[in-house]
Amino acid sequence: MADVLLRDVRKRYGAQEVIHGVSLELKHREFIVFVGPSGCGKSTLLRMIAGLEQISDGEILIGGRRVNDTPPGDRGVAMVFQNYALYPHMTAADNMSFGLRNIGTPRAEIEERVAAAARTLQIEHLLKRRPSEMSGGQRQRIAIGRAIVRRPNVFLFDEPLSNLDAALRVQMRVELVQLHQRLDATSIYVTHDQVEAMTMADRIVVFRDGRIEQVGTPLEVYRTPANTFVAGFIGAPKMNLLETRVTAASTGRVEVALPGGRAELAVDGRALASGASVTFGVRPEHLRRTAGEGVFRGQVKALERLGRETLLHVTGTDGASLIATDTGDSPVRIGDTVALALEPGSGRLFGGNGAALPPAAASAA
Amino acid sequence: MNRTFGDRLILVLVIGAAFVWMMPMLWVLSLSLRPNEELVRSTAGILPWPKTLEHFATLLRVSLTPRWLLNSVIVAFGMTALTLLLSSLAGYAFARIDFPGRRAVFLLVMAGLMIPEQAILVPLHAMLADWEMHNTYFSLIAPRLAGPMGVFLMTQFFKAVPRELEEAAELDNASRLKIFWSVMLPLSRPALTTLGIFTFLFAWNDFLWPVVTATQPEMYTLSVGLGSLQGNFAMSEGLGFLMASAVFASAPMVILYVVFQRYIVQGITLTSGK
Amino acid sequence: MTVTSVQDAGSRPHGLARYRDALSGYAFLAPFLAFYAVFLLYPFGLGLWMSLHDWEIVGDYREFIGLLNYQELWDDPYFWEALKRTLQFAAITAPAATVLGLVLALALNGPLRLHGALRAVFFASNIFSVTVVTLVWSMVLNPDRGLIANGMRAVGLEPIAFLADQDWAMPALVVTTLWWVAGFPMALFLAGLQQIPPEVYEAARLDNASRWAVLRRITLPALARTTLLVVVLQTVMHLQVFGQPLLMTRGGPANSTRPLVQLIYETSFRDWRSGYASTVSVVLFVMMFCVALLQFRLSRQEGD
Repeated sequence: MADVLLRDVRKRYGAQEVIHGVSLELKHREFIVFVGPSGCGKSTLLRMIAGLEQISDGEILIGGRRVNDTPPGDRGVAMVFQNYALYPHMTAADNMSFGLRNIGTPRAEIEERVAAAARTLQIEHLLKRRPSEMSGGQRQRIAIGRAIVRRPNVFLFDEPLSNLDAALRVQMRVELVQLHQRLDATSIYVTHDQVEAMTMADRIVVFRDGRIEQVGTPLEVYRTPANTFVAGFIGAPKMNLLETRVTAASTGRVEVALPGGRAELAVDGRALASGASVTFGVRPEHLRRTAGEGVFRGQVKALERLGRETLLHVTGTDGASLIATDTGDSPVRIGDTVALALEPGSGRLFGGNGAALPPAAASAA
Repeated sequence: MNRTFGDRLILVLVIGAAFVWMMPMLWVLSLSLRPNEELVRSTAGILPWPKTLEHFATLLRVSLTPRWLLNSVIVAFGMTALTLLLSSLAGYAFARIDFPGRRAVFLLVMAGLMIPEQAILVPLHAMLADWEMHNTYFSLIAPRLAGPMGVFLMTQFFKAVPRELEEAAELDNASRLKIFWSVMLPLSRPALTTLGIFTFLFAWNDFLWPVVTATQPEMYTLSVGLGSLQGNFAMSEGLGFLMASAVFASAPMVILYVVFQRYIVQGITLTSGK
Repeated sequence: MTVTSVQDAGSRPHGLARYRDALSGYAFLAPFLAFYAVFLLYPFGLGLWMSLHDWEIVGDYREFIGLLNYQELWDDPYFWEALKRTLQFAAITAPAATVLGLVLALALNGPLRLHGALRAVFFASNIFSVTVVTLVWSMVLNPDRGLIANGMRAVGLEPIAFLADQDWAMPALVVTTLWWVAGFPMALFLAGLQQIPPEVYEAARLDNASRWAVLRRITLPALARTTLLVVVLQTVMHLQVFGQPLLMTRGGPANSTRPLVQLIYETSFRDWRSGYASTVSVVLFVMMFCVALLQFRLSRQEGD
């Protein structure tokens, strides 16, 4: 079993604190993605789990064992680095077996494990080559192979795909998830790319400025972002966020004013007074062009034709602007005025501090 | 067209200059191959006709030259091996190990770059005289291991090695010594080669300190021995012999140069701290 | 067990791991530091100490005499003569080597194999030891059977005894030294030239710049830093001149080529006056220190 438990983990450099008390419980065999903008502390936290950075405060448990003072090699973790960090003077096989040799694994077993890993990753033909004789994708596989042969309880990935070209990245994404499912281990994967987070994770942990903003499955995080930061970070194009005012509020219903209309949301409005400042959030795919009234009316300033769909950049009379999706063959042209309707049950409201307001259902329960 | 003409003219001029440049060495080489009777008659010309190897034979038979060659080999290889070892160990510590006082110690060591050998020549001599260590391999080698240049080079080199490599090794259960020996040292082969060649060249050509510490002819290096010959031989009698000894002493350097020219020229930019 | 220092807390493994890290740091450093302390720091201090003594190289005679050595130095005509000759030698050789190196580098910075071969030729003389170089040039300059004498006779001139002539001895040493070292500045200038981006030259060609204009307006300004470095390195190097005069002229004729290092050498190892020799060493060290300091100041200014 390899649950990973973080209890109020903090990291300080001198007087400056960069990780502000992170608590997290990862279950055995889970694929967890840490995502956030650069400098949010996600890599630092990963390196603390690996033992490459000291834990200033709090504790980390792996498989129930406190590892704060355990050297990296003894934590039962393996790591795949962003730039692969392969030993350039060793062959692929030597790269993969170095760790096993260091702990005195019998030669026969080393060979067997390397061969097995090579088979899994289809890199048998590369074993005698050095890193300099391989492509980026091949190096990546060797780096993963090096992690696999150690049979770790926890795999740590530090932005492992960011040095690959786009096509290869998509392919490796799928392969890594398949690999994870075959292995009996927990995976922690760090990335700044929300697409990787959405496509790979069992659960996503969104970080900002050394704090967790939200933990949840990809769909939870996408559909019910906990705050405006998560709403803006997850999803591409990102969620539209409009500053607005409450026009009417009750227990299970809140109405807000939008340029050219009003939107009604199933949100617990008991704490809201009429006229309070809120942020209205809606995903582009939940806004549809309509011939009727709609919740938003504005002029099309730009079009992005993606083939499958068309993104409309619409600016309202008060200057507020948002993005809506339309069909791939949308007849809309720049300069047209369009009305947009809100798909029933969609849309989200965030209070003055940016946190999402609780849905009406929650208060009814 | 004007451009090409200019380029050609320059090339012709430098080719001429290169011949003049090589002339002294070629002439000495030719003198070393001519019999004495011929040398008494004339030293003109570059082509060694008639030619002979008798001077080289004499050199190896009657003089201390073989012994000096042995001394030079021992000193040069010893100094090179030890410099590489000490410099890479210290350079690694400065570049990658966090210990209290690291910055201060590093500055103290780099300050040593400012101290020229002449400034410590006399006290060094007094010190080794006290220990009664003159005329030993120890005294020929040890004082030269104190120079900080190698440490500086290796520190710079190790600093440029990606940290992830060490971290990967740490995750691979490698100890400090293991990381140094199995990961960092193999990686630093280019730097070690450059430093090694320069140390070897320096050791082989070293003159000021060896001439001070080695006073018994048995302990001369080739460089010192050759210097002593210059004073002791009347030019007319042993001219061919003298020229042969010059050729003999420089031959290893020429070979080294031909083989490692690329490293030597690269190394110059490194050692000048550019 | 914990030796976590306050400011550093958090930057690296703490507790036992940190303690072990510090220990291994010292262990890696210890071998070099031992040699450094014993064979560089200690002698340097000892040298300063000796310069305050009447100290004989052999025997136990050492008497503290304060600054008397320095006072004697001030009144010593041999010291001033040696200082003058040293400065003279460095003042001619360093700029000459710089210019020669620059000219060679400019002429040989080409892509052809021939360029490479020629670079190798000019650099090659750098690898010989001072004894080989002086032996070769003593012979070349020899008035009876030297290469130059042979040539002069061939055109009907009377050979000159370069090394025995007060006017010719110093220039002869300079030429010998230039032949020996010029490849070094050449290599540095070549490295500097390689760093000039080729686009700059292409742009200049589109601007119809002449060869001379390109040299003056682009190449030479780009080599300013290299030039400073070369001048300093060469100056420091030639202030230490020793082997060439010792082996070729023995400092003569009439001490006209005796530099400071030779004065140190002879005062200590021929006259046995180690205290006084140390005093001269200190002066030499201060001179070289000043040159290095000057370079530091200049390169700082240029960095702005």
